[in-house]
Amino acid sequence: MSRLRLGLEMDGSSRGRQVRDIVHGLRGLQAVRGALLVAADGFVIAADVPPTIALEPLAALAATLGRDLEVGASKLGGGAFQTALFSADDGTLYLAASRIGFVVALADPQANFQVIRGALEEAVTLIDSGWSPATPIGTPI
Amino acid sequence: MTVLLARFWRPATSRRPETAANLFGQADRLRRAGRYAEATQLVIRGLGLDATSITGHLLSAYLHVARRTIEPAKQEFKWVLQRDSSHPRALLGLARLALEEGDLESGREALVRALRAYPEFPEAQALLDGLATRQPARSPLRPRLDRLRLPAAARALLVCDGDGAVIAERPEAAGAGGRRIARAVGLAAAVLQRAGFSALRRGIVEDAGEAHFLRADATLTLAIALPRTTHITQGLLEVNRLWAAAQHELAIARDEAAEASAPASTRRVS
Repeated sequence: MSRLRLGLEMDGSSRGRQVRDIVHGLRGLQAVRGALLVAADGFVIAADVPPTIALEPLAALAATLGRDLEVGASKLGGGAFQTALFSADDGTLYLAASRIGFVVALADPQANFQVIRGALEEAVTLIDSGWSPATPIGTPI
Repeated sequence: MTVLLARFWRPATSRRPETAANLFGQADRLRRAGRYAEATQLVIRGLGLDATSITGHLLSAYLHVARRTIEPAKQEFKWVLQRDSSHPRALLGLARLALEEGDLESGREALVRALRAYPEFPEAQALLDGLATRQPARSPLRPRLDRLRLPAAARALLVCDGDGAVIAERPEAAGAGGRRIARAVGLAAAVLQRAGFSALRRGIVEDAGEAHFLRADATLTLAIALPRTTHITQGLLEVNRLWAAAQHELAIARDEAAEASAPASTRRVS
């Protein structure tokens, strides 16, 4: 097994399809260029981004940013991190925390902020309700 | 019919003995679908069959990270590195955990080691690039913005210069978050760049209790913490007003510093 690429391709399970549907739904919003769901370890669970974007580096950075915001929120006493957006003159990155990772959307400047934020919250709700853990988070391995 | 089906199905499951490799393969597929609890159970079973499997321990580490149980993840990555000191995935994993803990030097060192072993390692290179955007560019002149006022509704106000040094904080205890904000801003800038966007200008970070509004350019980051109920427009107005005030005060401080360092003969007489 490759030391850089551990494991196999994603299976076609219903949950796999569900996350892909969620990501495609976000990608289908007006002025959204791309969307992905990335695990906290940086692994891409599902993605729909333009081929010009190198996916794995983007996912690694997005997961690191997400974890930084989660840890920062807990250390600064503001409660659990929920959503963030970071904008440049030519586009905006949206990021939301879910049970299984971070939902990311990349949008053009003219995108409707409230619509995308609402869609991200809906995506997180769907993921969190579909991924109630059989064993609690933090179970020793 | 039932008997016939049982004849078809039973041998298919009983013929394959359970091996660690099979279990890890299944666990990896489940992990890739975000099914961490089920994947965890398979990894436990796999490690029961082969306790020295690097793949098993690496999967275990990934699952701990994915489920935000950091200390066990660190132990698993270290276990892998004790047996394979240049394992790139374990080095990347440890680097990310070090960055989470604010240990930039250890994070950078692990990434450099990973890239030495695998120069074509895009995730490691991306994180290293993200750190490079946060390299200190210290200026000898670091004015304090003493006249900035905390808005009535705000819990905290923080202004950092380009290298993350706090140049204004209200209240004073808010300065402790300066490094963290600078790091988040640096990472956000790196993500934007990887997504094909230009430099970071604005941000809004919402947690359960607060909304943090920020503005940034290459030399300055300003962030305020407002109640979560604050309307977005109101938060943006507040941060824009403070940004203008900070720029004005910085310009005055620069003028004063330039005047103080000018030769006595060229100083203005008032």
